[in-house]
Amino acid sequence: MPEIRVTPLGAGQDVGRSCILVSIAGKNVMLDCGMHMGFNDDRRFPDFSYITRNGRLTDFLDCVIISHFHLDHCGALPYFSEMVGYDGPIYMTHPTQAICPILLEDYRKIAVDKKGEANFFTSQMIKDCMKKVVAVHLHQTVQVDDELEIKAYYAGHVLGAAMFQIKVGSESVVYTGDYNMTPDRHLGAAWIDKCRPNLLITESTYATTIRDSKRCRERDFLKKVHEAVERGGKVLIPVFALGRAQELCILLETFWERMNLKAPIYFSTGLTEKANHYYKLFITWTNQKIRKTFVQRNMFEFKHIKAFDRAFADNPGPMVVFATPGMLHAGQSLQIFRKWAGNEKNMVIMPGYCVQGTVGHKILSGQRKLEMEGRQVLEVKMQVEYMSFSAHADAKGIMQLVGQAEPESVLLVHGEAKKMEFLKQKIEQEFRVNCYMPANGETVTLPTSPSIPVGISLGLLKREMAQGLLPDAKKPRLLHGTLIMKDSALKELGLVEHQLRFTCRVHLHDPRKEQETAMRVYSHLKSMLKDHCVQHLPDGSVTVESILIQAAAHSEDPGTKVLLVSWTYQDEELGSYLTSLLKKGLPQAPS
Amino acid sequence: MDPECSQLLPALCAVLADPRQPMADDTCLEKLLDWFKTITEAGSSLLLLQENPCLVELLCHMLKPQDLSSRVLSFSLRLTGVFAAQEDCFQYLQQGELLPRLFGEAGPLGGAAWTAPTVRSGWIQGLRSLARHPSALHFLADCGAVDTIFSLQGDSSLFVASAAGQLLVHILGLSMQGPADGPPSLQAGDWPACAKKIVGHIEESLRSTATPQITQALNVLTTTFGHCHDPWTRVLWVRLSPLVAGLLEKDPVPAAHSLVDLLLSVARSPGLSSSSCGLWETLAQTLSRLSPTQAGPLALGILKLQDCPQALRAQAFAVLLQPLACVLKATAQAPGASGVLDGTVGDFATVDTLLPSKAACVGLLCRTLAHLELLLPLPQRPCPWPQAPLLGAAVTLLQLCQGSASPTSDTGHHLCALLLGCVRVQRAALDFLGTLSQGTGPPELVTEVFAVLLEYLRSPDSSPTVLKKAFQATFRWLLSSPKTPGCWDLDPQALLFLRELLPVLQKRLCSPCWEVRDSGLEFLTQMTGRWGGQAGFRHALLASEVPKLTEQLLRDPESYVRASAVAATGQLSSQGLCISPASPEHPGGQQKSPLSELLHILSTDSEGFPRRAAMHVFTQWLRDSHADVVGDTEEFVAGVLQVASQDLDWEVRAQGLELALVFLEQTLGQPGSPCPYAVTPPVVAPACPLAQALQPLCRVRLFEFAFRALFDCDRPVAQKSCDLLLFLRAKMASSSSPQEARSSPDVASVEAALQRWQAGDQAQPLGDLEPEVVLAVLKSMDLEGLRGALAESSDHVEKSPQSLLQDMLATVGILGENEADCY
Repeated sequence: MPEIRVTPLGAGQDVGRSCILVSIAGKNVMLDCGMHMGFNDDRRFPDFSYITRNGRLTDFLDCVIISHFHLDHCGALPYFSEMVGYDGPIYMTHPTQAICPILLEDYRKIAVDKKGEANFFTSQMIKDCMKKVVAVHLHQTVQVDDELEIKAYYAGHVLGAAMFQIKVGSESVVYTGDYNMTPDRHLGAAWIDKCRPNLLITESTYATTIRDSKRCRERDFLKKVHEAVERGGKVLIPVFALGRAQELCILLETFWERMNLKAPIYFSTGLTEKANHYYKLFITWTNQKIRKTFVQRNMFEFKHIKAFDRAFADNPGPMVVFATPGMLHAGQSLQIFRKWAGNEKNMVIMPGYCVQGTVGHKILSGQRKLEMEGRQVLEVKMQVEYMSFSAHADAKGIMQLVGQAEPESVLLVHGEAKKMEFLKQKIEQEFRVNCYMPANGETVTLPTSPSIPVGISLGLLKREMAQGLLPDAKKPRLLHGTLIMKDSALKELGLVEHQLRFTCRVHLHDPRKEQETAMRVYSHLKSMLKDHCVQHLPDGSVTVESILIQAAAHSEDPGTKVLLVSWTYQDEELGSYLTSLLKKGLPQAPS
Repeated sequence: MDPECSQLLPALCAVLADPRQPMADDTCLEKLLDWFKTITEAGSSLLLLQENPCLVELLCHMLKPQDLSSRVLSFSLRLTGVFAAQEDCFQYLQQGELLPRLFGEAGPLGGAAWTAPTVRSGWIQGLRSLARHPSALHFLADCGAVDTIFSLQGDSSLFVASAAGQLLVHILGLSMQGPADGPPSLQAGDWPACAKKIVGHIEESLRSTATPQITQALNVLTTTFGHCHDPWTRVLWVRLSPLVAGLLEKDPVPAAHSLVDLLLSVARSPGLSSSSCGLWETLAQTLSRLSPTQAGPLALGILKLQDCPQALRAQAFAVLLQPLACVLKATAQAPGASGVLDGTVGDFATVDTLLPSKAACVGLLCRTLAHLELLLPLPQRPCPWPQAPLLGAAVTLLQLCQGSASPTSDTGHHLCALLLGCVRVQRAALDFLGTLSQGTGPPELVTEVFAVLLEYLRSPDSSPTVLKKAFQATFRWLLSSPKTPGCWDLDPQALLFLRELLPVLQKRLCSPCWEVRDSGLEFLTQMTGRWGGQAGFRHALLASEVPKLTEQLLRDPESYVRASAVAATGQLSSQGLCISPASPEHPGGQQKSPLSELLHILSTDSEGFPRRAAMHVFTQWLRDSHADVVGDTEEFVAGVLQVASQDLDWEVRAQGLELALVFLEQTLGQPGSPCPYAVTPPVVAPACPLAQALQPLCRVRLFEFAFRALFDCDRPVAQKSCDLLLFLRAKMASSSSPQEARSSPDVASVEAALQRWQAGDQAQPLGDLEPEVVLAVLKSMDLEGLRGALAESSDHVEKSPQSLLQDMLATVGILGENEADCY
């Protein structure tokens, strides 16, 4: 029986780094190839040795699919393709292809800048990896090869994020990546058609939560920034080069415009220009409101946000600065933080998660006296705020998506075990489908029922229709006809071809033993059928091509022998000829 | 352990033991374990436990029935193993019955926690750590751990199953090391009980009809023979080889992949391969029993062996070559013309068997090409190497994929239909073709190689990855074309090819696909670097539009392409192949010189790649004394440094310092004595006093850049600057010049400015610096101390054990509902 196998190498009962192996009808696909930023060594990458032991990666894997540009979904890609040795195709959407190298490069620079990071990829490797990418459009069916096809659906979450349907023959799997079922300020909601996959692999970050509207968090953010600026303070927002930064820029730009604020807003790297370029280029991926207003005013052209110069940090008066990196673990954001930390009028807003081992993690856990180099202590008097803007589907959204896609089974990834357990039960109860939540390294195997399309003759169809009943997918009906199956269908069903043989009994008057009769038959046929291969087998039977002749005693008449003749459909002519020949009797043997 | 950490540890252990306190960051426990490993590797575990009783308390706490986090339980098991690796500490933990209660039936093994793979993994890793001494072996036997490990070999988690196999190998090795009174007998019957038990299990598994069990046994043996070459492994192999050989009798051969790994592992082991248990016969039999796809890796492995019978090598090579032989046979134009590849050719029936369906055909061909590609550069590759037939096969495959082959047989047509447009085979064949350029070939075949490469480069159907590989293969074949040894010029045939190639390259540089434009530019840079000085190449290139297009690509919308165009322009300009600013096509000097073009990119490009590429080019130009640079080197260096020092990208600033170092070396001469065997004489060191020699460096404002960079927030920049200034100081020391302004007001003001910069206030400029002031400031600076500080990673404080413990404690109680929302 055919089966689908899923093994998470990452994101199995965790949110570290997504990397899921799917085997479907003999095709192997890797879904996402993420990195864990919390480690400094090879543990940051998924353990690929479990696939390299299957031989060459490029031979084993048919393709890699990247759902979106976040590093926990694509950060290990250059390592995988340029250092581990995968040389096959990589699929992602056009915006992901454009933005992914920016983030990889950004992170590479941070890693090299920090130092102490071992075995990291280079800039050239990122470029060489990106050259292997095949970009796909939404709803475009892409043939990876003759049998394997993939299709992308809109996932919200971040610009260019996609869910992917992977299909081989009649079997299919949908992988959601990260998605958001409610539209936000610049992106729409995830959507998928009723594709009824055999398996839906869905993220479950907020498996137990009903999230409040993002609008409340946005209002809160603006209020806090406004208050800090009003009291003359400086606001530092550590960000990664792209993604959250643009979202917050839109918020501030609009707010500054509306409130007619004068305090300068700076962006510390030269990346805004390129990021904004991409947001403009991929305007069709944003939500309806942005697309509509695009004609009047492009949301990504920021009047109030200017490039930052290192000297500006010492300027008097209020200001807002977006600086990289996002976790305050090196470079400019850390330098500015050190400068501003001592003043209680100032504020730092952490708009995302920070891994342990970073200053960001320390201040978010409430530490206010930080040890710096040379045993110096930095007292953090500035206000510290954490605002999560991450856009994942909550429990309601996940259920909604399951309802939309109508899968036969569900598999949860990218979440915590306890929360997954809760959602798993909910899904199983509500949708009456199996739900799985494998840990990393665990394989889930799903048997699938082969679905084989059957061609029906027009005559048969008409005859059935004549009975007055219209076809209805929900009401199965019995049809009477002959089903002819070809090789591929048999293979899919795991069946062996049934050999049809014609049989015939020929009665011969021959008082000798069966073996002798068979010998006589052999000699006779050998002399008659010179062009055919006539054999006398050790078991006493005689064969002519596929025709089998066995001699048996008659149950009632010992002077008569029965010749049991059988032949295949292919040798029908020869079989008929041979039986007619035998019916004429055997030549008299010399006594 | 330092006192600060010791103080924090009790609180942390209390937190870990409290099931109500979740760990926010899943990396913390891993890092904590790393730290304990470091401590125990450096000192006594027993002492550590005695000084920190909270640790044992934590481990004891794991024994209480409660709703423990599986991650903490797993951590505790691993931690116990780390401590118990030292025998005295093992005894200490044994006294408290802690070990059997943690690792025996009474522990997690029998409880609900065991359903979590992380706990099973922790259990295995814990045992793996503690199994270091004879006492541990007794313990394993007493608590029945080995049976559990056997069952874990078939665990639902790949990680657990694999670790279980590794652990068995480890225990087997440990038990065979024997007690203190000498290693155990080589008679398998006298082996220690633990080893006997494991070997018995392996034997049983090899006799099993279940493939997973056979696979597990084979994997354990592969690892054993791969890692241990003690005499007992030979006894083991002698004992088990009949069972392994017995697997070949089954149809189909079970666990073929693992079987191949095992046989190769045995063959590579010096002690085993020479043993007389019919290894070579088994290998030969395996080659003939396995399917072509399964036999490929085995054949490659056999051919890589240093020492194996010639007949077996021949058989292995035949297996490897067979798919390509079939391709050649199927596409041969005339009967008999395909007498190739060592007589391995099959008939058409073989072709059908080998290459039945598209998927099987593509898979087998790609694997074969990859195997041969790996084999080709090895010294032990088969000799004679069938270069010409292989070249023919690669070309044929590429033609089949492209649809340009004209097979005459039905099988050929069938192959053509299977391979037409197949990108996988195209990629593999182009890689292989490139590798084949290491050898030669008959001239008519080389002509065919160039023709097929050109066909691919021209074809509108070639995908960007295929084009990139076609460019790479073309470059390699051009490189291999010289006929005269020692002469690197392109031969007439290659030059003819070049004339056809350049219009194709021209077209590719205009591709709408950035990947293609980029690969084209990279190819151009490589070619120019190699043959830029050769008249034939120069003539062909200048007659084409390629230099003009390269210049246009400096303004490409894609930054990767701009960066590659910068590199290509740098190379073209170095060879004098850039279009002249005063060319008739651009009258009135509207055309900028390459130098000003690249300077413009350095100052204005919004992205780092092109600016970094420009800095690379400038540094190279300075090193090579490029014509545009030597005219006024000081002006060039001053201009570049001024822009680079302001760059937001720290890598550009770091490269600015690299360029400054080159200028410094050229001005002052290399440090240390020059190599007496150097072909080129070192740059002449100035005979004038050091202060005087520093004048040009002051004029280009090199020192302000370097001093400022010393306090750069990006550590590699600061480190580079530190190295540069240390180099200068070394020069000072070797110079006898006494001219220093030891304590002039200028020196004081510079030192004050530096202090302000160090404090973060970088606003104040330094103004014009006198060499004497520079020398005095340099002398007073603690550059060595700074270099030491910069050698640490920028987050070494945050990554310290103390910081880890503080962080773990700090997160207690503040975790919200959605701490997992990473991004």
